[in-house]
Amino acid sequence: MRVLVVEDDPVVGPDLVQALVEAGFVVDLSRDGEDAWLRGGVEDYALAVLDLGLPKLDGLSVLKRWRAEGRGFPVLILSARSDWAEKVEGIQAGADDYVGKPFAMGELVARVRGLVRRAAGHASTLLAVGRLTLDTGRMTVAVDDRPVRLSPLEYRFLDLLAHRPGRFLAAGEIAEHLHGAADAADANAIEALVLRLRRKVGRELIESRRGFGYMLAGS
Amino acid sequence: MIRDSLRLRLLAAAAVAIFAALGLAGAGMSWFYVRHIEQREADALIRDGKLLAGGLRLDPAGRPAADARPGDDRYGEAASGLYWQLTTSKGGVRSDSLWDQSLSTTPGAERERWRIRHAPGPFGKSLLMAERPITPEHASEPVLVQVATDDAYLHAARREFNREIALSLGLLWLFLLIAAHLQVSLGLRPLAAVRRQIGALRGDPAARLPAGHPREIAPLADAINALADAREADLGRARKRAGDLAHSLKTPLAALAAQSRRAREQGALEAADGLDRALAAMRATLEAELARTRAAAAREAGRSFAADIETLIENVIAVIERTELGERLIFEVDIPDDVAVPVAGEDLTELLGALVENAARHARHRVRIRGGMAAGESRLWIEDDGPGLGRESSQAVMARGARLDEAGPGHGLGLAIVGDLMQATGGAIALDRSGLGGLEACLTWPVGQLAPQPRAPGVVSWRTRR
Repeated sequence: MRVLVVEDDPVVGPDLVQALVEAGFVVDLSRDGEDAWLRGGVEDYALAVLDLGLPKLDGLSVLKRWRAEGRGFPVLILSARSDWAEKVEGIQAGADDYVGKPFAMGELVARVRGLVRRAAGHASTLLAVGRLTLDTGRMTVAVDDRPVRLSPLEYRFLDLLAHRPGRFLAAGEIAEHLHGAADAADANAIEALVLRLRRKVGRELIESRRGFGYMLAGS
Repeated sequence: MIRDSLRLRLLAAAAVAIFAALGLAGAGMSWFYVRHIEQREADALIRDGKLLAGGLRLDPAGRPAADARPGDDRYGEAASGLYWQLTTSKGGVRSDSLWDQSLSTTPGAERERWRIRHAPGPFGKSLLMAERPITPEHASEPVLVQVATDDAYLHAARREFNREIALSLGLLWLFLLIAAHLQVSLGLRPLAAVRRQIGALRGDPAARLPAGHPREIAPLADAINALADAREADLGRARKRAGDLAHSLKTPLAALAAQSRRAREQGALEAADGLDRALAAMRATLEAELARTRAAAAREAGRSFAADIETLIENVIAVIERTELGERLIFEVDIPDDVAVPVAGEDLTELLGALVENAARHARHRVRIRGGMAAGESRLWIEDDGPGLGRESSQAVMARGARLDEAGPGHGLGLAIVGDLMQATGGAIALDRSGLGGLEACLTWPVGQLAPQPRAPGVVSWRTRR
């Protein structure tokens, strides 16, 4: 699995490469923004670890260009400025996770693994239920072809309902699927999740019936 | 002492100047007064002299004789102080009041007009005298007509006048001194105002002297404001440099961490441990410095309100949802439209980022963020359904550097930054047990206040739930 590391520091860059190679990845190292942008545009990476302070072209611009060109691989941002405004900016530019410097290598490798696992979990198929379209590969949802930003949990909720068309799913059953049998959330939590989802995708898209549970409209 | 005090200097100068002016005025008045009464006395003497001159003749021996004499009885009374005398070279005639004495004749009297002079007189007295040589008809020689009066009472009048005028001018001097004191106080009052305002400047680098000073003081106020601007800019630059320095050290720290990892791989465990300890300490110091920089910047930014709190919270949640911490959690956001928080957007993002991330770290399934306005306060609650905290831990949590969860990721300074920022923006944070079962952090800001209180305590309190 190929990973692109974009880091200009002569010590941190090679160290990252070494750690990721030890973790079983095939790693390319890029030392400036322009080179990274070009490589990300042509090579097929499973993930990129992107430093923000880069020569020639800053990391955030690289990320924005990749996303504008439709490059959808997960990006983990690595930055010395770890304030929240920058995290928000990074995520809004299309990053998938954020690690502030200095970091623990073990944690970074774990995050890289998590991101790769999430992205590679499904074959990319489109699932259409009424006005909803789910991309099971990229884990994205669109309502009337308009993309909606969802949390992984919210996506999993919709994915669960989409795979059981035409039947109501009880809150307890949903909680069990989302959190596992041993640690099922209470019905209130599922209600809060539905409330939040309805605000994002539209209240009429998730039907509910007291005593039965939830179902996607049009399934 | 006078050298040190502008007020005393002005007052002393006024006292001396007024004293000199009044003294001069007093001397002038005294001189005019004496001249005036002397003139009147001289006029009376000349009147009598003219009367004598009108009846003046020379007897065959060439001695003068007076046909008409002034009627004042004192001319007939010995040593009365009022005298006349007619003199030629052949002899003379004089008033009875002169007794056996005579008036001194000094050459130099003019024919054209009466000469007025002070002269020593008989009986040891000093005299005011009017004299003129007058030549009667058909006479070959002029007669010196002299009329004199004792001038002692003139001196007495002058002394009395001087005493009275000195007394009243002294009173006037006192009165003018009081007026000068008032004037100086009034004139210096704007300076006192400036002094108070500068005192306020000391506490708050963003404060400036207000406009509307008198024209004479306005340039001073402007100069002070310019100085304050320069000082604030210096402070800002210093903080920015500290912040930049802290940030720029992070990548080398990451490099050092890599070295430590390599050392560990090569079996140098002790060296690696030592490096790691030093790294942790450096990291904590950097984060503390950055927190201080941010809090100081928030304090100086003055009062500004985050524009759209709900979007801001959603943005923070979007970050946390991406991480392992947040991907399994349900976030609930309930911020009524009327909630206004006196914290700039970026600082509020920092505050909520730290608190929501912390809540996410401990939550089992749910994190709830609520807002509300009540009793002149705006409030935000961040709750989770995790295990919660005991009273002692909640005090310890807010201490700089303390960690809620030693094993979890994050540098543990998040909540200390929250404390600093709350203090800088005049708010308070209270930790409580949440209705969801875990920890509830309640952020409170008084919204009636005009500006952030520089030294408002960032209170940590524990409320007991009924």
